[in-house]
Amino acid sequence: MNEIIALNIWQFALVYLLLFIVLIIMKVCKINQTKLLLVASIRMTIQLVLAGLALTYIFDNPRPLFTVLYLLLMTGFAIYTVLSRNRENKTLNKRFKIITGVSLTATGFLIVGFFILVIVGVNLFNPQYTIPISGMIIGNAMTGMSLGLRAFNENIQSNKSQIDTLLNLGATPRKILLPFVNRALETALLPTLNSMLGMGIISLPGMMTGQILSGTTPMTAILYQISILISICSVTCMSVFCTLYIGYRTLYNKRYQINWL
Amino acid sequence: MFKLKKVSFKNIIDYPDMEIRSNEVTFICGESGSGKSTLLKLLNGMNSPSAGEVLYLGKNINDYNPITLRREVLLCGQSPFLFDGSIRDNFDEFYKYRELSPINASDILKYLKICAADFETTAGCGTMSGGERQRVFIAICLSFCPKVLLIDEPTSALDDLTANTLMSNVKEFCKNNGITPIVVSHNKTLADVYGDSIITL
Repeated sequence: MNEIIALNIWQFALVYLLLFIVLIIMKVCKINQTKLLLVASIRMTIQLVLAGLALTYIFDNPRPLFTVLYLLLMTGFAIYTVLSRNRENKTLNKRFKIITGVSLTATGFLIVGFFILVIVGVNLFNPQYTIPISGMIIGNAMTGMSLGLRAFNENIQSNKSQIDTLLNLGATPRKILLPFVNRALETALLPTLNSMLGMGIISLPGMMTGQILSGTTPMTAILYQISILISICSVTCMSVFCTLYIGYRTLYNKRYQINWL
Repeated sequence: MFKLKKVSFKNIIDYPDMEIRSNEVTFICGESGSGKSTLLKLLNGMNSPSAGEVLYLGKNINDYNPITLRREVLLCGQSPFLFDGSIRDNFDEFYKYRELSPINASDILKYLKICAADFETTAGCGTMSGGERQRVFIAICLSFCPKVLLIDEPTSALDDLTANTLMSNVKEFCKNNGITPIVVSHNKTLADVYGDSIITL
């Protein structure tokens, strides 16, 4: 194994030149998102630099409190992102939002705990493991959640007449709405399952690549990668399932009436 | 069968006190926006009154289990939903949602005939007109033999002949099977011919 090559800051800066190519192509294709490209690049840089500084500090001063705070911040931001991506979502009432937050937090922490304590077998407050692993797990739960909630809402909204007709006929809301829950869960899971299909052939995933780059043997990197993929699959499934399975009940009241917005 | 006492809905509609008797055909007439369809939804518990009370068989409607109530007081809306597929598929699907075993083809044909829907059970519902779909749905509702059948504008998309056939068949079937039909219609002539009592909102 070669030793790790730290990037020279000036050489590193050259990578931003690639953005000019993106900019030129966007101009040629009349994609009016120059501002977004700029904002996204700047935000990405600042956020990562801050994360780098924070991690450096935490690794130098490994206190459980810092790890916990980092985790909470990450989860909070994930919940905020899910909810803001679903701003137009009319099925997402206040109670549903709370359920979303609680489900994401509970299932995320459960899987992170299992991964760190059981699979890796280190202290839960070890920042070197807990922070990056939680980032991947919670980040993926967030994506699945956004997808699942959006699919659920879209299906419900475009099938209002079916739902009303069945309610009028004396079918239980559970029987009417569960198929929508199931379909949304499937939508949320498919990208993860499909990406697992292509693993190792089409893509060498980021975590594994990173570990190999920093000198870990490929076999160890693979074991980590397999564990993280399975964890991501299960956290997506569990968080979306909990949210929708508990959340769909907020759509109707005690008299089994649905208040369409 | 039903009594309304000082009922109002969301402070938009105030209903006069009324009584709907069992085993007769009641027509509810009135202009658009007078709250006819909302009244039907108040009767089957899809809406709750914001003031006053709705009594069904002497008991406040809120004291009934909503599912039990809706199975007894069935509402056939103006533009009901049908599943893609044949009439047979639709009967089967709706029976599944009601947790009942499917009925046989000759029974389906009987109910279709009552509703002046001259189709085979294999006919696809996807290409049917609004009026045809509603008749198929009324046939499905009738086949459940509820105690009360609420029908919203059953004849608005029909020619006079079909409308009359439908109304007289439905009226007769209901009379023979102890079903109380409550019909919303803006067709005053139809109400005069088939209604035992008429409520004008």
